[in-house]
Amino acid sequence: MTATHETGDLSHVVEVRGGKGRRSDKRGQWWRFLLILPIAAVALVPVGVVFLLAFTPSAASNTTGLTMENFSNVFANTDVLLWLQNSLLVTVGTVLVCVAVAAPAGYVLSRGRSRAVATYSLMLFVFQSLPVITAVIPLFLIFANIGLVDSLLGLTIVYVGSSMAVAIWMMAAYMDSIPISLEEAAWIDGASLFRGFWQVVLRNSLPGILSTAIFTFLVAWNDYLVAIVFLRSDVAFTLPLGLQSFFQQNTTDWGAVMAVAVIAMIPPVALFVFLNKYFSVGGIGGSLAGQ
Amino acid sequence: MLVMPSIVLLLLIHLFPLFKAFLDSLHTGSLIDSGEFVGFQNYIDNLTSPTFWKAARFTLVFTLVGVFGSWAVGLALALLLRTRIPGGGLIKVLLLLPWVVPIVVSSTAINWLVATSSSPIPVLFEKVGLGQPLFLADPTWAAIVVCVFKVWVSFPFMMMMSSAALSGVDQGVYEAARMDGATSMQQLRWVTLPMIARSTYISWILMTIFCVNDFPTIFLLTGGGPIDATNSLVVLAYRTVFQNQQVGPGVSIAFMMTVVLVVLSTVLYRQIRRAAH
Repeated sequence: MTATHETGDLSHVVEVRGGKGRRSDKRGQWWRFLLILPIAAVALVPVGVVFLLAFTPSAASNTTGLTMENFSNVFANTDVLLWLQNSLLVTVGTVLVCVAVAAPAGYVLSRGRSRAVATYSLMLFVFQSLPVITAVIPLFLIFANIGLVDSLLGLTIVYVGSSMAVAIWMMAAYMDSIPISLEEAAWIDGASLFRGFWQVVLRNSLPGILSTAIFTFLVAWNDYLVAIVFLRSDVAFTLPLGLQSFFQQNTTDWGAVMAVAVIAMIPPVALFVFLNKYFSVGGIGGSLAGQ
Repeated sequence: MLVMPSIVLLLLIHLFPLFKAFLDSLHTGSLIDSGEFVGFQNYIDNLTSPTFWKAARFTLVFTLVGVFGSWAVGLALALLLRTRIPGGGLIKVLLLLPWVVPIVVSSTAINWLVATSSSPIPVLFEKVGLGQPLFLADPTWAAIVVCVFKVWVSFPFMMMMSSAALSGVDQGVYEAARMDGATSMQQLRWVTLPMIARSTYISWILMTIFCVNDFPTIFLLTGGGPIDATNSLVVLAYRTVFQNQQVGPGVSIAFMMTVVLVVLSTVLYRQIRRAAH
């Protein structure tokens, strides 16, 4: 157990603020606040509409004010619980596999300086830029032959593949901030390359792992294209497809639709509200540029 | 050894289907049967079809508006939120929501807001005397709605990228610029923008890829209509394969996009690297 060093604060940011001009700073603050408030309000209208309608009683009902009856209706009359379960299964599976694969790959991208690593990095970028539709159509035909159409496993495989490149960049970006001297110390103490990665780098990468996990969660949870191609029967639907299936009926029961919409957006929204400080995509610029 | 699992997955999910896609694009087949070999006929058919070029044109417009619209909004917000403001933390999280909420959910909200003539926004337009546009039934309006929706979905990503870049800019340079008498507009143009240029460029490239490949933003609002006004190449490929059951022609569209994107992304990637050193 030689490789466990105290790492201390890797990311302390010291904010230097001048004492002068504090008053005009303060005025600037309120001015910016007043400017940003209407922008934020307009930007949040669609989200607000969903919440409001979900708690508004339908025209046929005799309740007034806010109500939960849309929710009790969809729980009683639709497969929403099943869709929720499907969405959770696929998303959790995607996140676990993706992080497990992206962490070691990100380590290589972060530390490697060879030609092979450069080629690998280019390959990631090219694959990431391909239209998902190009992969999805042939995969549909292939998966149809091996029974992975209409299956949550097939869906998970595609999600892992399509979020892989960004996940690797995000891991690499975080690992870039861990000084290489930590591993070097471990190597001098006789640790192998793999042990250096496992016990030194990975241990200190929790924020990076969380950030990557949040990103993959969003990809899998929010996806519509892959799901609509691969899922056929409504017992296999994920929440986005379930929500969309309401529009195939002649009249749209907006209260019910919005109740399902609220259920579909609570997990990602909660994730961001509580774990927002861990999420950063800004770093992928740096790891793309190889710095 | 550490990268093997990711390579295997990438080859399986991306490269292998690519070969299959190319083969399929040379056949006339349905989803069940691969059909007969027709050479490059599908490509010729597409390249001579007005629908294809209309979709290509809309893809271009959609991408340009998506990239620069979301960048402008995202950068402006990042600049406003750069220093501490009251409730800044909460506002930052709330402003991420358009990007965080599933597109299916937000498109449902947009549908409710604009779809029919009795929806809130058309009614609002009527009240202020702007007529009663059919937002999703009129070709021009539908294109505008789809593009604005894309900007709305994407600006938080650009805001995050801009914020990260701005936090790397040393505050000392502004001090110096102020001493030289630069106005805040001049500071933005001659100090801030050049200093975040590289990361801006990278965010444009990423957003370009996101926009060209986007499907749900368009499909869930208009399905590509009315009269193909909002048909992008991806939506066209999807409709050709899964609604018209023409695998060959549809896949050939996707494959042409792929070739263009591979070339484009290789060139752009080289440029990112070169700019970095």
